[in-house]
Amino acid sequence: MKQKFFKGFAVAAVAALAAGLAVTPAQANKNIVVWADETRGPNLVKTLAAKSDWVSGYTITVKSFANFDALKDAIDKATATTGPDIVVGANDWVATLAKNGKLAPLTLTASQRARFSASQFYDLSYKKKLYGIPVDVNNVAMIYNTKLVTTAPKTFGDMVDYYKANKTSKSLKAGLCVAGGGMSWGAHSVFSALGANAYYFNSNGAINKSQSFNPNEFGRNVKQYLMDGKKSNGFFPATDTGCKDNFLAGTVPFAIIGNWEWEDYKAKGFTMNLMPVPGVKAGDPGKAFGSVSGALLTTFAASNGVEAAAKSLLVDFFGSTAGQVAYQKFEKRPPAEKGAASDASVTDGQKGFGASAAAASVPQVGAILNGASGSKSYWDSAPAYWTAVLVDGKDAVTEAKKLAAIWRTNLRGAANDI
Amino acid sequence: MLSGLIRGKVALFIKIALVALSTAVLLTLSQSAFAKGEYVIAGFLFIVILLINYTYFSKRTVPLKFFLPGIILLAAFVLTPILYTLVMSTYNYKTGNYISKEEALSRIQALALEPDANASAFDIVVGEFQSTPAILVSDINNNSYFISTPKEKIALDATKVEIDEYQVAQSAEGFTALESGDISSSAAAKKRYFFDGTYFIVVENLNVGAVFRQSLEYLPEQDVFRSLITGDIYRDNNNGNYVNENNQDDFLEPGWRDPSWLTNYIRLFNDERVRDPLISVFIWTVVFATLTVLTQFAFGLLLALALNKPIRGRRIYRSILVLPYAMPSVMSILIWGGMFNTEFGAINEILGRDIAWFQDPTFARVAVILVNLWLGFPYFYLVSSGSLQAIPSELLEAAAIDGANPRQIFRKVTLPLLLQILSPLLIASFAFNFNNFNLIYLLTGGGPRNQLDGEIAGATDILISYTYQIAFGNNLQDLGLASAISVLIFFLVASISLYGVRKSKVLESFS
Amino acid sequence: MTRWLKENLWRHITGVVMCLFALFPLYLVVLSSFNESGSLQVSSFYPKDISFANYQVLFNDERIPYLTWMKNSLIISGFVAMTSVIIGAASAFAFSRLKFQGKRFGIQLLLLIQMFPAILALSALYVIMERVYKFAPGLGIGTQAGLILVYLGGAMGVNIWLLKGFVDSIPAELDEAAKIDGASAMQTYWQIFVPLAAPVLAVVSLLSFIGTFNEFILARLFLIEVETRTVAVGLQQFIGGQFSENWGPFAAGSIIASIPIVVIFLSLQKYIVSGLTAGSVKG
Repeated sequence: MKQKFFKGFAVAAVAALAAGLAVTPAQANKNIVVWADETRGPNLVKTLAAKSDWVSGYTITVKSFANFDALKDAIDKATATTGPDIVVGANDWVATLAKNGKLAPLTLTASQRARFSASQFYDLSYKKKLYGIPVDVNNVAMIYNTKLVTTAPKTFGDMVDYYKANKTSKSLKAGLCVAGGGMSWGAHSVFSALGANAYYFNSNGAINKSQSFNPNEFGRNVKQYLMDGKKSNGFFPATDTGCKDNFLAGTVPFAIIGNWEWEDYKAKGFTMNLMPVPGVKAGDPGKAFGSVSGALLTTFAASNGVEAAAKSLLVDFFGSTAGQVAYQKFEKRPPAEKGAASDASVTDGQKGFGASAAAASVPQVGAILNGASGSKSYWDSAPAYWTAVLVDGKDAVTEAKKLAAIWRTNLRGAANDI
Repeated sequence: MLSGLIRGKVALFIKIALVALSTAVLLTLSQSAFAKGEYVIAGFLFIVILLINYTYFSKRTVPLKFFLPGIILLAAFVLTPILYTLVMSTYNYKTGNYISKEEALSRIQALALEPDANASAFDIVVGEFQSTPAILVSDINNNSYFISTPKEKIALDATKVEIDEYQVAQSAEGFTALESGDISSSAAAKKRYFFDGTYFIVVENLNVGAVFRQSLEYLPEQDVFRSLITGDIYRDNNNGNYVNENNQDDFLEPGWRDPSWLTNYIRLFNDERVRDPLISVFIWTVVFATLTVLTQFAFGLLLALALNKPIRGRRIYRSILVLPYAMPSVMSILIWGGMFNTEFGAINEILGRDIAWFQDPTFARVAVILVNLWLGFPYFYLVSSGSLQAIPSELLEAAAIDGANPRQIFRKVTLPLLLQILSPLLIASFAFNFNNFNLIYLLTGGGPRNQLDGEIAGATDILISYTYQIAFGNNLQDLGLASAISVLIFFLVASISLYGVRKSKVLESFS
Repeated sequence: MTRWLKENLWRHITGVVMCLFALFPLYLVVLSSFNESGSLQVSSFYPKDISFANYQVLFNDERIPYLTWMKNSLIISGFVAMTSVIIGAASAFAFSRLKFQGKRFGIQLLLLIQMFPAILALSALYVIMERVYKFAPGLGIGTQAGLILVYLGGAMGVNIWLLKGFVDSIPAELDEAAKIDGASAMQTYWQIFVPLAAPVLAVVSLLSFIGTFNEFILARLFLIEVETRTVAVGLQQFIGGQFSENWGPFAAGSIIASIPIVVIFLSLQKYIVSGLTAGSVKG
């Protein structure tokens, strides 16, 4: 009997609780959600705390992820349910995300287009549609330690000579290493300095669809400058690990550093002696990739009913002079927008990279570099070359021919997309 | 007796309170899930409610009373993902074929907009005109202003509109503007406004409209897309894409995930670009797991034997030796990763060499085994020393009396007994290391890969890290194929473990 | 003396060598945590100048709420460890002691489930928890509660299997006697099994704790807000950034994160050995 009573009690309690639950009617969404990584996110929050009414009538929520990989993992899996309206990500995400139907295109007015360079749009476009606004410029430049090297090297050979002469006396661990950007993206300027560009340009500024680098010449240079017979001469390590620490510790005289980390160097007392990697011949420096991070518009914005507002946020905040200046005050990378880039508030570090980029950079064209088949991209083949030659001691010319073949295939595969 | 009675009543009360509470919570959840259209989850929760109430109020369900919470959790977070993986493995589910067909259809239609020659865009105000959605358009370059509704374009006299400092019209007679905050979600934001018949204006953002024309039309009866510009027909190729009938390389993006039945499994065996790396990865996986177990066991046993006597400092030894096991492995693996660095790592520093640990296949494999040895030998030390103590001392004494020397005793008595006791653990360890994702992912990332020669799998990739690479890597993500590999791994590990279980006769007790 | 040498010298040599092997990386971490340049290389094997800069970063940098991460890890892992053992123990008891239809099938299914490589489950769990978020934002993706639920599900198989081994080893006569006294299954469980198995339950929950503490892939996907992250996710941030590495704070953070676990581990050592022997592998 008692059992029954309790049963009845439980049911009644439940019914009471359930009845009290009314489903609230859906309200029009007036909040734009932005996803970003562990540095851009918090800095966006600070920027928006200072001024939040970039799009009148809408609020903005920023979610920061633990790191870049975590952000990529999440945006790969996100759906309209919890996905963002805008994601601030790398330009090489654009093709994949667009193919997977996660990005929505946007259209700019002529005056909005004029605020950016064509190559920046190139970076964020897929199949002739633009999927985001360029936010900050990512590039690398070479820094040298003035306590070790007093005059700027003019040629690649100057650096190698310095390394060989001072290797033991100054207990150098390497001559030139890549501290920022990794052995593919960050090392392009070394490839380029030794004669291997990912692609070449016609005089009219368009990419030459048939020219690729000369593997014999590049291979010979690698042998001459980086090798000691069949072994690496220790000048250029095949990995980037530990490079930053060692440059800061004074055991590596030259390092390729990223513009997002120059403050770390400055904080340790280094002057911003930035320059492109000198080439084999004086005055022909290696070109570094210049790419942009983009604020990308997702298709979720439409399902969340904020597409038009999100697009307004993209052009009026992410893509405006005022917005980029306000944001880069915290983020401290070179802004992509032309007005913001020349703004007085941009600091010397940001400008130093800008100057180096202006002197020797190439746009990063994802359609070519990512590889048509997906398995052999520039990104995978470039570090593999360094490993094959500098670590495994394979023939620099033979491997260069393989490399050239891969790059040529990618160039051809992308001919319709560029 | 009295205390028992009270306890019984209290227990009954607690039970009923708990059941009522969980029912209430779950019912609330189930209801809101239903309200939001998540019928499967709502149904699952409802069944859970029924099960809970039935189980704990019926007298016939004693075992279930113990099982139910565990079963519910397993079903929700373990069984469902397994089923999901099984289903995924029968789909063409990869980058470019990722969303459902419905979503793909709507994406293709949304993308099938082509701007006019100048990529014209105008400043607009979104609102209503004569109670239909309309936009007030300012064509500043031509100093012309008009209102556009979905059906028509109404030219305005430039002098009769209110313009702001940028020459943008802000209001006009009969036109009511929407509040900025209401535009995005309004019906007006989704309409196509009349421009010149072929081209129309869409609301690009809150104050810009862009001029487009439709470049593709969808014909639902035939399930094809027709290009309005070239007339080409794009047909469903039954593999998740609309492909141009006249040109196989021309297909519409995005595609969708399409059932492909056993194709992914067939690729595992037939497609040499899938099969060959898979075979080499499988071989390394087995070698890795075997070597790991052997080295960990050998060093653990050696230590257990050495410290099996109450020698001085044994407690200190033991406390130090378990440290690698107690340290959070995520951190220790990352630290080892730093130590193996070629130019700057501590290991090369000590060896006085510059070995490229993670760039050379052999060295990378050695490093992986070495790190895993560090991580795992304390475990085998602990279990071996536990088991050594479990060996009856009479046995060893008897052997000694029979004149066997210590080595013989070890070989003939101790080791076989130990192996018998520890064989389930050795097998469990093998199965664990067979899928030791964290180690590979954090230490080498599966590398090195010789990309120049087109290698897809890295030298230290084990099946599970290879699968992860395929499913979530930076390049092409092939979830269908990765799922098929998962299923294959499952069968491999299951047969290894079942063999082990048979051997250790664990299942005997249920027969 | 010579006999002592003969008997014990090799024991000490083995012990010392293996201790050095075990300590070496740990020593390096300690060293680099006090080294301002924060690299993992050894310029010297003894600390030259001790700097607390790396520790200061952890406690003072607003972007790195390290103590919060630590608290999160301890709470999440602690909750999962306790709850999963409570639930798992009940199931293990039933599998081991009660007679019912389909028991053999259940055991085999449990064993098989554990062998399914869970890596693709990432996608599935994301989809499920995203849907849960839709109607119960407090439980879905992005919440610690949701992550705990997923962990609990994942811990079930292992824990039931492990605990079943223990229950099997408890002599059946004990509960036979209880049954004769008229005790129900529930009473047997609470009054006989639970007190007997208490130390074992502690060990299994400790292992579960460590396993959860170490998990980072799901945690990284689930815990988006800075304040909700766990230590394992947070620490990766230092050396898993887009292009940069920061070994110094990482080393300092690792040391702090390890202390509670190492302390618990060392104090429960005696139980752990018995727990391990019954068949567990660290996750």
